[in-house]
Amino acid sequence: MRRMVFPYLLPLTSHSLLLTLFMLQTVIQNIIRFVVLVLVQVLVLNHVQFLGFVNPYVYVLFILSLPVRTPRWLTLVLSFGLGMAVDAFADTLGLHAFACVLAGFLRDPLVKLLGAGDDNNDFTPSMATLGMGNYVKYASVLVVVHHLAIYFLEAFTLAHFFDTLWHACLAAAVTLVIVLGLQLIKRR
Amino acid sequence: MHKLFLFLARYSIVGLFLLLEIASFALFVGNGRYAGSVFFSSSNALIAGLYSVSGRVTDFFKLRSNNEGLSGENARLKERIAVLENELALVRAGLPDTTRFVQPEQEVAYIPARIIHNTTNRVRNYITLNRGASDGLRPDMGVVGPEGVVGIVQTTSDRFATVISLLNPLIQVNCKIKRNNYFGPLGWDGLDYRYAQLTDIPRHVDLYIGDTIVTSGLTTTFPEGIPVGVIENFTCDEGDAFYHIQVRLATDFRRISNVQVIDYKNRDEQEALESSLPM
Repeated sequence: MRRMVFPYLLPLTSHSLLLTLFMLQTVIQNIIRFVVLVLVQVLVLNHVQFLGFVNPYVYVLFILSLPVRTPRWLTLVLSFGLGMAVDAFADTLGLHAFACVLAGFLRDPLVKLLGAGDDNNDFTPSMATLGMGNYVKYASVLVVVHHLAIYFLEAFTLAHFFDTLWHACLAAAVTLVIVLGLQLIKRR
Repeated sequence: MHKLFLFLARYSIVGLFLLLEIASFALFVGNGRYAGSVFFSSSNALIAGLYSVSGRVTDFFKLRSNNEGLSGENARLKERIAVLENELALVRAGLPDTTRFVQPEQEVAYIPARIIHNTTNRVRNYITLNRGASDGLRPDMGVVGPEGVVGIVQTTSDRFATVISLLNPLIQVNCKIKRNNYFGPLGWDGLDYRYAQLTDIPRHVDLYIGDTIVTSGLTTTFPEGIPVGVIENFTCDEGDAFYHIQVRLATDFRRISNVQVIDYKNRDEQEALESSLPM
């Protein structure tokens, strides 16, 4: 089966209209998720200043929730775009883009490592599809990597290494709680 | 042919990853100096418009504390007017009419502006104002609030401006101790939004906790004597030539919303004269 090699060409080669419609629905769902998460992040969450410095970056949920069969180049480009969108609002050109591309790059190997995504069907990683334990692992790794990248690149020095580390971990924990909370609500 | 595609598909991902990371990193380190970077900042009309709507909402919740701040400032200004009027009357009585009362370095205009976006929880904090180039704002102008120094204008679009907050290690403001006029740069270490650090005060100077720190007037950005903060504590390790001074900032960056941008009238004249000196 040639189409297993280039799954993103599926809508062009497939004769199944139903499948194309299904993909279209996924695409629209992800576009809405992108816009909503960026707006919530820049208009609400960027003003949350728990303890004066903890700023949860929940928009990373977009990268977590891309369908597993998304081609990797598209994941990278979308991650970059997501980061740049948040950067434009926060006046930190390049900062979030860097962290997002890093998280987007690590996503696929992580999905493979957790044993999901081997079979040919497409799905959105969530608590329901990955299972509670696997999803917690999946989300924690990506969120922590993303937050560490942001906080250390932003500090741009190792002078306050432990302060930065502490801030990053605390913010990552808050983000993780929100992300897992959203997943739990959705599963009901 | 098929294998070639597979090969490219495999390594182009790593290549794309590296390309995007290097691009982001370069943009971040370049810090807004690249052409077109104004488009990706909150000076952009779309983003600034969105912020000015959300700013109107949050302003509503800050009305009370802002009123208190403004009435406090009013009281202080009235007090100053009274003192100055007395002095003026004394001076007028004794001097001929040709005396120039405003010194050239004090010829400044204040342009009122409102903050429509502000952060305090990052290492590099920026502020967006609802006034821009068409209101006379230019890069490098100083920004002050009712309590004291706020930051320095970085970029301007037609109707909006971004300000480098005092809470940003990219800028330092030249300050002095009001009591004895010793001056040094004040910068922020990125840790606590309430405190900044004053350096380069030599160890033989007598310091007291509670000493007032004001702008020195040695740069064209801020005129002399604008409050910056008070000394919270200071240390001087053995072998250090200078104090490490922790300054409690006068401005509360978490609730500031009305500011004034300082337009120093003689800036061009002064800078042209200074740049004519041989280096």
